[in-house]
Amino acid sequence: MSVRIPITGIGVIAPGAIGIDAFRALMTSGRSAIEVVDRFDTDGLSAHKAALVRDFKPRDYIAPMKMRRMNALSRLGVAAAKLAIEDCGATLEADTGVAIGTAFGPVQTSVEYMQEYVEKGAALAPPQLFAESVANAPGSHIAIEWGLRGFNVTLTQRESSGLAAAMYACTQIAKGSVRMALIGGVEEANEMLFSVLDRLGALDDEQRNGIVIGEGGAVLVAGGGMRKPYGTLSGFGIARDTTASISDWGSDPQAILKAMRHAMKDAEIDEVDAIYASANGSRRGDAVERHALERFGKPVVPTKHIFGEYAAAGMLQLIAALLAVEEGRFRNVLVNSVSAGGGIVCAIVSRF
Amino acid sequence: MTGAGIVCSIGRNKEEVWRSIVESRAGIAKLTRFPGETFPTDIAAEVTETLPKSKRLSRTDLLGVIAAKEAFEQASGAPRENAIVSTGTSTGGLLEGEDYYFQRRARGRRRARASRVLQQPTSGPSDAIARAFDLGGGVLSNATACASAGAAIGMAADYLRAGHADVALAGGSDALCRLTYSGFNVLQAVDPEPCSPFGANRKGITLGEGAGYLVLERWDDAIARGARILAELCSYGASCDAHHPTAPAEDGRGAEAAMREAMGDVAIDYVNAHGTGTLLNDSAETKAIVAAVGAAIPVSSSKSYFGHTLGASGAVEAVITVLALQHQIAPPTLRLRERAPDCPLDYIPDTPRPMALTNVLSNTFGFGGSNVSLLFRVGPAASRP
Repeated sequence: MSVRIPITGIGVIAPGAIGIDAFRALMTSGRSAIEVVDRFDTDGLSAHKAALVRDFKPRDYIAPMKMRRMNALSRLGVAAAKLAIEDCGATLEADTGVAIGTAFGPVQTSVEYMQEYVEKGAALAPPQLFAESVANAPGSHIAIEWGLRGFNVTLTQRESSGLAAAMYACTQIAKGSVRMALIGGVEEANEMLFSVLDRLGALDDEQRNGIVIGEGGAVLVAGGGMRKPYGTLSGFGIARDTTASISDWGSDPQAILKAMRHAMKDAEIDEVDAIYASANGSRRGDAVERHALERFGKPVVPTKHIFGEYAAAGMLQLIAALLAVEEGRFRNVLVNSVSAGGGIVCAIVSRF
Repeated sequence: MTGAGIVCSIGRNKEEVWRSIVESRAGIAKLTRFPGETFPTDIAAEVTETLPKSKRLSRTDLLGVIAAKEAFEQASGAPRENAIVSTGTSTGGLLEGEDYYFQRRARGRRRARASRVLQQPTSGPSDAIARAFDLGGGVLSNATACASAGAAIGMAADYLRAGHADVALAGGSDALCRLTYSGFNVLQAVDPEPCSPFGANRKGITLGEGAGYLVLERWDDAIARGARILAELCSYGASCDAHHPTAPAEDGRGAEAAMREAMGDVAIDYVNAHGTGTLLNDSAETKAIVAAVGAAIPVSSSKSYFGHTLGASGAVEAVITVLALQHQIAPPTLRLRERAPDCPLDYIPDTPRPMALTNVLSNTFGFGGSNVSLLFRVGPAASRP
């Protein structure tokens, strides 16, 4: 990119951590937020673990009247945005853009709408549920809450959704369309998603390795800000593994290497100190990334054993990398996101 | 722009669609997709062609693949290795997700076929198209409600300019599903008769389905490989009303900002409006057009032909806009018997209008107040009058 984009505020509603200080403590504690699911019934399923957000009280962040119009994803997004804006300490400009990522979006809201549809009829389902059944509802609520009139987009690129949102927002700042942007990710673990992925054999259980579902909301303030930036987003690369099926990972490490190298070229750097790996426990996904990382020969930092896959749509992995450069552990790191279906997005996070 | 493809209720490809446009033939009829279910309204703009059966692809995926195939074939020889797919969709495979939901209610979660839900993610169309054409540049999926495909096209152009890709297959697709058909009805946003955008008696939208795709390349790259350039995507504007989750800002401020960003200081000859047929949209968009472009500009809504194709609309209507540039004919607004008092512009009623078109805007707006306006310029292959 022609410019490095400073990250001046972070808001986190994560499994095991609410707020950036708690998240920083989680990342250094050696703890994992993965635990046995008690929010919904997993009887008869093979998997029973997830990384769930606990102790999140939306009313601490959102006025009750507004909260009633929001689904869980919108509440996570607005609360994380509030924390991020407070953390940045600056007033957002009116033309600030918003880019949000979500892998699965409002699955639970769609399920609730269809329940009403069946029970009350197609003409009597609640309009409020329909309004929240679009994936961009969280981004919309964030814009309304803070009067943000810049671009407002929602990216849904599976495991890479958060990084894809970051890439778009940074491209807009670099292009000069806006000076500031909120970059976010939201995800909700729910019974429908959990049971379907379990039936498809994608989840980690006693018999085999697999994904552990995470959830949460996270928002970054890009540009502006009153505090010293955590770090900068300096470059991005995208590619696709053409050996992937539409629902699983492929087997070509060259595609991952291509995206990684493109991100470094975009950031105008020749070397990185470490790679925050996509590694999520999936059998094919981990195997193909491992082959790519072996050829790269740099220290590898996994994070998803702490907060699961899909946590805040992948934003938590990016935030972990930002904290690492802020704390001086690394100068430049690569953040990898390799998706089922073959999509790959890589980002460079640099010390400010 | 070196390729374009389209499928919607008025045709399976550009040729059929344009023939319907010049013959002022709409594709709106009785809803057939959900037999046995009762909705307050019963018309839609459905794609009536039988799509190939697929265990892995949703109807939205399949519509996307059809339009993308036409576009990619037209851009003959476009390199695949660094080609990205940038897709917009509002519902993805929600239709198949509903089937799974009903099956689960009937059989329980252990006996319902979970593989049906593989088709549901809104990332499905991008993955399906990239796989169909063996494209290695990356996939991007935009789910910004009805502004999705417009945003996807703008995003693709940005990534070409930034050097993240060499070619982009950009557009969108959406299939009709129960949730959206019911949802717009419970919002009382559906006209019981075929929609009449900007009309005095307009009552809402007609729901449609379809797909549109464009092949985008950097100008110099397209010239260097000898590609035929259909039109130029010059720029785009993106904004948010920051007003209401489902209703547009009544003063049209967000739409105006998107149009101003797209057009810069370029003189505009025609606006392909979002023009949904709802009371609020058409009034707000008219105000935005007057403020950004002026009151003398010819405007029309091609949704009067094929309804509101939701997340695909930005791409379907971009293809219509490009066809208008190529043929130097502005499509009309059908069924505009009487303009509404709050819609005083020249909406090109009933019949196509031959006119000199150089720079044109294509508007697309969505829930959440997201607005995208695309600026297209006539290409060297246009048939000037």
